[in-house]
Order: sequence, then C-alpha cells, then structure tokens
Amino acid sequence: MSALMLQLAGPLQAWGSAARFARRTTENAPTKSGVIGLLAAAQGRDRTQDLSDLTALDFGVRIDQPGTRVRDYQTAHHLDTDRSMPVSERFYLADAVFVAAVAGDDALIDRLHEAVRAPVYLPYLGRRSCPPARPVDLGLRSGTGVHEALESEEWRASTWYQRRLRREAAVSLPLLVDAVAGDTRADSRRDTPLSFDPLHRRYALRGVRTHTVEVANPWARGPAAPEHDPTSLLGGD
Amino acid sequence: MSRTILDLHVLQTVPPSNINRDDTGAPKTAVYGGARRSRVSSQAWKRATRMAFDDLLDAGELGVRTKRVAELLTVRIQNIDTAIEEREAWTLAAETVQAATGSKIDVPKRKAEAAKKNGQPEPAPESAYLMFLSARQLDALAELAVEGRADIKAFLKDNKKRAKELADTRHSVDIALFGRMVADGADVNVDAAAQVAHAISVHPVENESDYYTAVDDENPDEETGAGMIGTVEFNSATLYRYAALDADLLRRNLGEGLREDEPVTQPLRRAVEAFVRGFVESLPTGKVNTFGNHTLPEAVIVKLRRTRPVSFVGAFEEPVAPGDGHVRKASERLADYVGQVEAAYGLADDTETWVLRVGPSTADLADLGTELPLAELVTAVGTATAERSAPTA
Repeated sequence: MSALMLQLAGPLQAWGSAARFARRTTENAPTKSGVIGLLAAAQGRDRTQDLSDLTALDFGVRIDQPGTRVRDYQTAHHLDTDRSMPVSERFYLADAVFVAAVAGDDALIDRLHEAVRAPVYLPYLGRRSCPPARPVDLGLRSGTGVHEALESEEWRASTWYQRRLRREAAVSLPLLVDAVAGDTRADSRRDTPLSFDPLHRRYALRGVRTHTVEVANPWARGPAAPEHDPTSLLGGD
Repeated sequence: MSRTILDLHVLQTVPPSNINRDDTGAPKTAVYGGARRSRVSSQAWKRATRMAFDDLLDAGELGVRTKRVAELLTVRIQNIDTAIEEREAWTLAAETVQAATGSKIDVPKRKAEAAKKNGQPEPAPESAYLMFLSARQLDALAELAVEGRADIKAFLKDNKKRAKELADTRHSVDIALFGRMVADGADVNVDAAAQVAHAISVHPVENESDYYTAVDDENPDEETGAGMIGTVEFNSATLYRYAALDADLLRRNLGEGLREDEPVTQPLRRAVEAFVRGFVESLPTGKVNTFGNHTLPEAVIVKLRRTRPVSFVGAFEEPVAPGDGHVRKASERLADYVGQVEAAYGLADDTETWVLRVGPSTADLADLGTELPLAELVTAVGTATAERSAPTA
C-alpha cells in the first residue's frame, strides 16, 4: 500500500456535497467526490466511465489553513430579451490550504501520480473557476496508509499564516479520514462518488472520522508562555 | 500523448471603479494571503470576452444563446424553401430541436393565454431555458427539417441519431471555449476548453464609498438642498488575471478540416487567437459610465506548455505593499516567481513564452520571453498552437 499526497491551495476553492440549484454551498474541507473527480479528470476518464477502483481508495484530508468563507452573488441576463434570470449564490473557501491523501494498491497509486503530474483535463479545486495556485502533486509515501501519511506530512500552510501562529511551537490540525466500519463516532457525508454521469450522478454515504494531528511550526519563537490559569487560585476542583 | 496547454497571465490596473459588484452594490472581494483583495468573478470576465468575439469573429463562427430557437430555425428553413409557411416551419423547427437536444419546445403557456385573450394568433414555440447553438448547427438542423418535411415526426424517429450529431458537432468558438449545458440532453453537453480564474488584486484593498448629491437643474433657487443623494462604492486595483486553455480539447470541440480549402488546424488557430485577444482586451462593463475605467493591461504573459497549466497567483500571496504604485513591484515579484517555479518543477524547457508589456515599471518581465506588440503576439501564439497540434506526417 502507498499513499499519494495532494496539495490543494488557491485563492478560491469550493467543495460542495449537498449543493443544488441556485445555492451552491461548500464544505469546510475537500470532499471525497471532489478529489476523486480531480484524479479521474487527470487520468482523462469520461464522466460515464467506471470509478469503482478510485472510490475504493482510502481517503483523508488535513486542514492546514482553514481559510474564510466567501459568498458570491451572481446575476445573469437573457441575451435576447435582457430579462434577468434567477440570481444564484455561490460559496467559496478563500485562502485555504489542504493536504489530501488517497491510499491503495501501489500500481494504481503510481498511475494516479503520473496523471496528476500531466493531467488530461485541466485540474481545478472543486469548481472550474478555481485553478490551483500551487502544484497539486506532493509525491508518494510508500508503505503507509492515509492517516499515517497525513500525520507525518509537514505543515503546508502559507508562511504568513504560520508566522501568525508563531507563539505555538506545535499546531493542531483537524484531520478527516474515512471511518472504519462500525465506528459509532463517525459523521456521515454523501460524497462517495458512484457515477459522475451527467444524466444520473450518484453518491453514496461515507463515514467520516475527525481526528487532530500535531505539526511543528517552523516559525515558532522562543519558549511557550508559562502555564497560567487564574482560576486555580480559587481552589476547589 | 503530446499535450498543448496555453496559460495567459495579465497584470492590469484599474482606477477607482466598480466593474463587478455584489448584491449590496459593493465591489466583490476575497481574502488571499490573509489580506482582503479586490475580486472580479470569472463569470463576469468570460462574458466580457464572449462579447468581444462579436468584433473578432465571423457571426457564422459564434453561437446564439436563446429560448427563441424555433423562430431562428424558421428563418433558416424559409431561406431554404420559401414555400414553407411560418406555422409549418415552427412545427418543423420545434420537432427537430426536440429530437436533437431532448428538450421540449412548446408554446409558453402564459404567452399563449395572453394571445388568446387579445384575439391574437398563437405565438411561436420556445424552449424552457436558454439553448446555446452555433450558427452552423442551426443551418444544418434547418436542412434536416426541410428534408423531413413530408412527415417530420416519422422522419425524426428514424433520424434521431443524425439530429443529435448535428447538434453535437461543428461547435461555435464560444461554445467550444466556454462549454454548453443542456439539462435535458446531457449527451449533447460540451466541456469547456477554457478555464478562467477570478481576477484578484495583487495588493490589499479596502472598498471606499463615494457620497454624492445630484442637483435639480430646474430648481435655480439657492439653499434648495439636493435633488437626490446616494453613495457608490468603489476601489482601485492592480489585478492579476489568469486563464488556461486546453488546446487539445478545444480542437476536439471545434472539429477539424471542416472546409476543403483550409488546413485542419485552422479553426483551432482562429479560436485561440480570438480567445487571447478577447481575454486581454475585454473589460466587464459594470459602472463603466460612472468611472470611465477603460484601461488596457500593463503586462501580458502567454505560455505554451506540454504537461499542465500553472497559475502564478502564488507570486502575490504575500500582498504587494503600496509604494511607487503596484505595477513595478508586481512585475518584479512575477518575474522572480516564474523563474523559481519553473526551475523547481522542471517546466522551463518545454515552455514557449511571449510577453507584451507597457512602460518602464514592467521592465523585469522583458526577459521572460519573446516581446511582441499585441497583434503580432496573437498571431505568433495562434501559429505556434496550431503547429504543435498539427498531425505529424
């Protein structure tokens, strides 16, 4: 087993899992369907092509820099009559950085790695108007699963963001991975793609387990502030 | 497989303006690199580019986005056979489009009722939403409709595949570049070959508000106050604009060798040239009469690549600080960043680069590639793209 590490960074990204019609929302982290879609497109698969090998991969994502939510208000007009069409709202994550990992069979992961470096269809971060600002490919980690690979990955947040947290020598990052069967503390999300066929897109539920991982902050400065808990003076327990 | 991908990078300064606003009337913004930036949405700039095509391309190479597709087809049907009455042509047109796209073409209920009430004849049928068809596709569908005139329903039953093919080949330049979505007929959808990013300013921006009063011309008395007061929000920005173009997909969308008398890559070449020129020169028109912000880019960098597109927005993640304007610093940053990224990822060798730049503040960009004025740059890019995509004999 090996893991392919992907860096998802850009001024704007959008990862919808329940977005429909005129209100297109985004989750706060990349969805499995979004990342599998990116990989399938990199390989040049058509929308109607079988995805089962990609869906079977283990998936995880780490929120290295959470970003902020942007609401985009969009109008459109009929070109012939100039009457306005229904306005739509699109939500984006601005200024976010994620590290995603997929793990599985070595040969398939190798092929995906190659595809990400020379993609057949242009890559984008959840929505076509969101091109990546950094190379997506972060390389392979052989002999590890998603969780371990994401745990040992260096912190990919932007320099300005790392410096802003310079008082923290180690930073906690949320890590969202596929839940194992029977995990009662998992959330569920409908973002496992079964088919991207535009005639009938289908998604299955996926159990998602949230962990936190600690990463070192390269910009950490001096010793951490001493432990200070004023309420301890009040005694009691 | 050899790939051809075109990257377009533009630095453009706009003075106080509000070219793309949100529902409160404020210019759109986004946070990047921890700082608020001015933003112009990709949709706004794609529309401006598409509008610029009217002056750059023949109408026959463009598409029409309308609900009145039956009426458009009727004109063409009657051009082929003047003996066909309007009403019969409407039916022929409606049935043909329905077979080709899977979308229902009906007389809109409300319009029909209104006509009935006013004693007018029934109006023309329309599609339920905007249909995007190229001029060539409409011509071909009109011919098909006339061919099956005797019994259109039975004819289309046998020729449904042909009708679909006619709606799915020979796409116009705008459909090939920006895509088409037909909700009821996903098999005639077209994947966009162009990817346009939201333009963002290279520096932090705070929106400002202009308080204005309007004087009543017909009220010459003193101390009358204002006839109207209001505010307009605006900002000024040096924008980084980026677009990527998949030349291989564009070529597939356009089709090739459509005319005997031209090389197979001619449609691709014309489309690439129109896109580069249209994207560089166009500007969304929001509040343009209020601010008169008709600027042209200070710098344009065009790159032809073999593996993948690369955006240089990372050069501006750390916002440019104000100083002697923003263009000089932005050019310095960009020149430095392009070199570093291409060296780090081994991209420099397979990349051809052209540069257009204005004034001494963009001097740092000169070494990135071949410097040319716009008209020559457009031709050079079009030629190189066509050559790379030409079948190797």
